[in-house]
Amino acid sequence: MASKKAEQNVVTYVTKGLQNGDPTVVGIIVAVVVVLLTIIFFAVRSRRGTKRQGILLMGICDSGKTLMFTRLVHKKFKQSVTSVKPNSGSIGLPQGNKSLPVTDLPGHERLRTQMLDDNKALARGLVFVVDSGTVLKEMKEVAEYLYTILTDRVISQNAPPLLIACNKQDLMLSKGAGVIQKAMEKEINTLRVTQSAALQSTDSTGNNNTFLGKRDKHFSFADIKPLRVEFVECSARGKDENGEADLEPVLDWIGRVA
Amino acid sequence: MLDFFTIFSKGGIVLWCFQGTSQLFTPSVNALVKSVILQQRTGTDTFSHDSLTLKYKLDNEFELVFVVGYQKILQLSYVDKFLSDIQLEFRNKYKDELTHGNMCGSFDFTSIFHDVLRRNEEESKQEALAPKKMRTFEDSQKSKKTVASMIESKKDEKKGSKGKENKTPKAPSPQAAPTKASPAPSQPAAPSPASNGDLDEETLRKNREAFFARGKKKDTAAAQGAAIPKSPEASKKKGKSARVWVNEGKKSGNLDWSGSAGDAEALQNGTLEDTKAIPTQAERALVGQMSGGLLDLEAESSEEEEEEEEEQVLAPSKPSANKSGGGFGMFKMFKNLVGSKTLTAEDLEPVLEKMKDHLIAKNVATDISGKLCESVAAKLEGKVLGTFGSISTTVKNALQEACIQILSPRRRVDILRDAMECKQQKRPYIVTFCGVNGVGKSTNLAKVCFWLVENGFRVLIAACDTFRAGAVEQLRTHVRKLNALHPPERHGGQEAVQLYEKGYGKDAAGIAMEAINYARDCRFDVCLVDTAGRMQDNEPLMRALSKLIKVNQPDLVLFVGEALVGNEAVDQLTKFNQALADHSNMTNPRLIDGIILTKFDTIDDKVGAAISMTYTTGQPIVFVGTGQTYTDIRNLNARAVVNALLK
Repeated sequence: MASKKAEQNVVTYVTKGLQNGDPTVVGIIVAVVVVLLTIIFFAVRSRRGTKRQGILLMGICDSGKTLMFTRLVHKKFKQSVTSVKPNSGSIGLPQGNKSLPVTDLPGHERLRTQMLDDNKALARGLVFVVDSGTVLKEMKEVAEYLYTILTDRVISQNAPPLLIACNKQDLMLSKGAGVIQKAMEKEINTLRVTQSAALQSTDSTGNNNTFLGKRDKHFSFADIKPLRVEFVECSARGKDENGEADLEPVLDWIGRVA
Repeated sequence: MLDFFTIFSKGGIVLWCFQGTSQLFTPSVNALVKSVILQQRTGTDTFSHDSLTLKYKLDNEFELVFVVGYQKILQLSYVDKFLSDIQLEFRNKYKDELTHGNMCGSFDFTSIFHDVLRRNEEESKQEALAPKKMRTFEDSQKSKKTVASMIESKKDEKKGSKGKENKTPKAPSPQAAPTKASPAPSQPAAPSPASNGDLDEETLRKNREAFFARGKKKDTAAAQGAAIPKSPEASKKKGKSARVWVNEGKKSGNLDWSGSAGDAEALQNGTLEDTKAIPTQAERALVGQMSGGLLDLEAESSEEEEEEEEEQVLAPSKPSANKSGGGFGMFKMFKNLVGSKTLTAEDLEPVLEKMKDHLIAKNVATDISGKLCESVAAKLEGKVLGTFGSISTTVKNALQEACIQILSPRRRVDILRDAMECKQQKRPYIVTFCGVNGVGKSTNLAKVCFWLVENGFRVLIAACDTFRAGAVEQLRTHVRKLNALHPPERHGGQEAVQLYEKGYGKDAAGIAMEAINYARDCRFDVCLVDTAGRMQDNEPLMRALSKLIKVNQPDLVLFVGEALVGNEAVDQLTKFNQALADHSNMTNPRLIDGIILTKFDTIDDKVGAAISMTYTTGQPIVFVGTGQTYTDIRNLNARAVVNALLK
């Protein structure tokens, strides 16, 4: 009863105040309205933020992600060293006035899983950068990283298109995209056996034992639908430091993804 | 003089660089980033790579790294000052670009760089000419001592000085008496040796004379009585008059501690209370969680975490607020809430101190928790705190990130993949297990063996523990059991597991070699070598282990360690590694490649050993043993461990 009375009191106080133009009552109402508007504004903004709209540059250490990032975003050649933090910027698209955020994730072993976990939900497209010069030597590591990306629950659910960019084509001894694709398929073929037999992890959530591709067939990138994988050859460095980069295929792909 | 100087963003984009020689600097800088910054060893600021010494400075506000490199043989005294000067100049000049995060503008910094460099070089030259300055108190070792250590040292020195007359450092004794009565912070209690050294000398001499006059009675109580009458005089002089000494005028400000003493004391009390509180919090948290697995532990922890955090934030601020008056304290709190501020070392110190205690309570080795906290401090100092960010959350997040980084493997570990490759090359994949006594080497060897057999490998176990009674029989029992579980019919008529044994008392390295040859001849895929447990200090046994590894060159050397150990973990690992390096007579000796952490089910949330071990060696934890049966072997989940650690 008492609370009802108090409520009535408040209502009468507010209506009276409004009729008389009491500054306190008006002030309180204005303040409440402002607070509500702010909350709505932030809610709308944060919802828009979770939409998948970014391009992620990934790959192992020294594959040329940061340089590709500066080439794409700033159209410049920059020297780079091992990254500790991700870089983010946005790339203007030729068609329309749209722009697309690009994030360059560090490739060091200690960071990559953490970075992938933080950013994977935001990916509209993934660019997996590969050093074509040394890829066959580092194939185990490259394939394992690619395998973690492909089997990741969030990524296989969202199924963003994946581009494997065979970088550093300016080098003399670089391998072509076809060779790299064959080697990768072969390596992932063995990896999917060993990784699906890997032990459970300590927190008893169970391992991610999804088997990639078709069971009774050799692994092929064509079999992992709904993920679409493409291979292109490119060179972030270009012929020389001051010249243009050879990133046409990548830009073309980004244009199609956006 | 400098080989190179470079400024780069943490994202890895080089903003500006200077090259004194034609040598490429990128490999050195990459090595610095990979082995210092990414290994959470940022507590120290020097690193040497090939013939270069690299010094670096992190700018956490704009996420920059400044690195200078010079030849190792040079002793450049001005580098530290030079780095901070350059940092200041660079920040001033490109403030706008940096705040907008524009890392790709053209940074033309060459002229300023050379100016600053020349200025610093000249200054250092002049300094070299000038007579050597006296060390200030802050530089001295004594300033780093705590009150507790001072009190202890007093007793020690009393005992020591009975025998030796000419033992000089008796300085703390007159001051230690008042500190006992009221625990004041260390700095006011300890006198600056430069400023009142002669006074101390005098009291010292008097004390000693008085002491030796009565020395024959051997009455220590009387001796203390002689010391005490002197002490009030000494402490009065320091506490009140703030005397200005003739040749060290500027010192007086440093000695006047009357204002801050209360605060510091309150702070210390705060920390003490909190360290008491943490274990009980943790214990309480355990009660409901025994039923579930590790996952439940995580989910429940979040709310309590918040509470604890709030307590931690309030604890240091409360006492100081009381001192300075209630109203002002409230104002301060609002200011903290609203204004964004830059983190300084002083802000971070109390929180980090608490974090360090927390880590130690979770069984992380003492020096490693210290190093971790230093590294976190270096990463956070100068960072701008957001409007609603609290220091303790920021520190906690940074520490969490650091711990996850430490626990994530530095290199690829996939035993099945490597074993498969060896199978293709028609040679056995050799794994050696080593460790101290009773940590579970044979038990976990059997578990790994079971896992390998399940995945279709044929395994040979080499019983190289020729020392402990029953070791071979233990393995034989395991082999019998495993063969019963996996009968030969399922493996093409061949036994899945076999034991290679030569009884007791023989040379382990020889047996291992024979076993490997046997494995190759009989087409085994994997050869697991069990070694005898040994203390890390037992030199002959360590030499034997080193020989075994040198002779057989296994593909993987696994160190088995229990999760129960605390400070000992570091000692074991470093000594094992050291022994393998020392006794091998090779330039590139085989060291420990991975760690098996056993008895992980017995420790609930005291998971510190995992951090200690991975930090010490940088090697990954390959398996975790979690129970008695063959299936109780797991991979380590870094996130779960870190959550348990920071809970």
